[in-house]
Amino acid sequence: MRRTRARPRGPGGRALDAAALALPLFYALPLSALLFASHPARWLPRLASPLALRALVLTVETTLVATVLSIALGLPLARLLARGSFRGRRALGLIVDLPIALPPVVAGVALLLAFGRQGWLGGALELAGAHIAFSRVAVVIAQVFIASPFFVRAARAGFAAADPALERAALTLGASPWRVFVTVSLPLARPALLAGAALTWARALSEFGATMMFAGNFPGRTQTLALAVMSAMESDLDTAVAVAALALALAVVALLAARALARRAGADDA
Amino acid sequence: MTPGLRTVARAALAAGAALSLVPGGAAASPSPPLRVFAAASLGDAFREIGAAFEATHPGIRVELECGGSAQLRVQIEQGAPADVFAAADLETVESLERAGRTDRARTFATNRLVVVTPARAAGVATLAGLGRRGVRLALAGPSVPAGRYAASAIAAMDRSRRYGPRFAARVRANIVSEETSVRAALTRVALGEADAAFVYATDAASAASRVRVIAIPDSLAPPVCYGIARVLGSSRHPAAPAFVAFVTGPAGGAILRRFGFGA
Repeated sequence: MRRTRARPRGPGGRALDAAALALPLFYALPLSALLFASHPARWLPRLASPLALRALVLTVETTLVATVLSIALGLPLARLLARGSFRGRRALGLIVDLPIALPPVVAGVALLLAFGRQGWLGGALELAGAHIAFSRVAVVIAQVFIASPFFVRAARAGFAAADPALERAALTLGASPWRVFVTVSLPLARPALLAGAALTWARALSEFGATMMFAGNFPGRTQTLALAVMSAMESDLDTAVAVAALALALAVVALLAARALARRAGADDA
Repeated sequence: MTPGLRTVARAALAAGAALSLVPGGAAASPSPPLRVFAAASLGDAFREIGAAFEATHPGIRVELECGGSAQLRVQIEQGAPADVFAAADLETVESLERAGRTDRARTFATNRLVVVTPARAAGVATLAGLGRRGVRLALAGPSVPAGRYAASAIAAMDRSRRYGPRFAARVRANIVSEETSVRAALTRVALGEADAAFVYATDAASAASRVRVIAIPDSLAPPVCYGIARVLGSSRHPAAPAFVAFVTGPAGGAILRRFGFGA
């Protein structure tokens, strides 16, 4: 029997399908231009340049730390938002969504005014010996600020979708809330958590404005792949394309990892 | 035509008609603006020059876009719609001239490179202090003219042997950020986040209340020459040569001098 996908047939079907192709073409065109407008033989050698390699290592290190922090801090918050019922829950949810709506460079200014040397907490931190602005710590802070809300939202949806009756059953059987969380809530929400983690990592990878403003731009210390593309663009387009290709490759890895992890989690439950 | 294709064709015609009504299309506006791409440090002066040019050339609107000279150069190279390009060094404009993108490049103003330090924080007291351990130095990146001038000044100070051993290496170890424009470096100091930055004297003057200036001796300061040229291309604004003439002429010179440039 012929394999057919359930899809409405009839007049207008083909037009809708044609319209559906507009966005994928819109995505594919600039991405192809990025890789092939300048002949690959010109930029492929630049993949090994110090600027590209340092930016790659720094980006992978900082984004992984930022993602782990986002998960660790985001899980309890998502659980509270999904299951808790308290006054101010909606306000809490709103605060969590704010960084997503804020232009990243504005977030960078805000971070500077809070944690910079002349900022609210900055003075005290400097006295304590913690120099935050212009450091790798600042890069991670900026990434967590911008990317963690994505994890919280995904995790919250994952917890909310699970049947609370199962958690209640575990509680009545004598498990502590912590045990319920670890042995019931987490496994039930696993696909959403994994997908959320991958999305968070992807968002941290693409972080630019807040990093530029708060952490500055210095090769090897705070120059992530995104900042490196900007700097390279001013002097050498081929190096810029090579660094951009690295960023693109990491994004693809993040997305493939998300799908593979989610699929494996789904298969375990089957 | 099949029913499906007819729907698509109608939709495309409607979209095209709607798009042509969007303001900004060449046919819609009365006369296109004269687009000037200028180095970040020229911002204030060129805003006034633009206003003066509009006053003496009624009907022409000047649109100013400022940024790091290197970034602007790349944008023009990639076809950005600029009619005039003014950069913080001659070489940046000449590189476009060599590529056939602009008309003859000319100098029209000079500036001085200085060091600034926060007015209300410890910062740096003398040029020698730039080499002190733990000092946070901000400057423009190496592909930006201000960054190249700064590197040249640091090298000259190192050669003079007046600021201690291995001065250049110690200063380079203090760099915390390579900005895309000299104004961004100034802002770091103005906000108190950096202890020092290499900027132009005109930039320091624009943030006078928030920064202190440390002058660089004439013998060690690099000559800062701004370059300007008309961008070539079929759809370039016809008043571009007049604008360049205005900037390099007495009217433009008077305005530039008022902002602290040499002209």
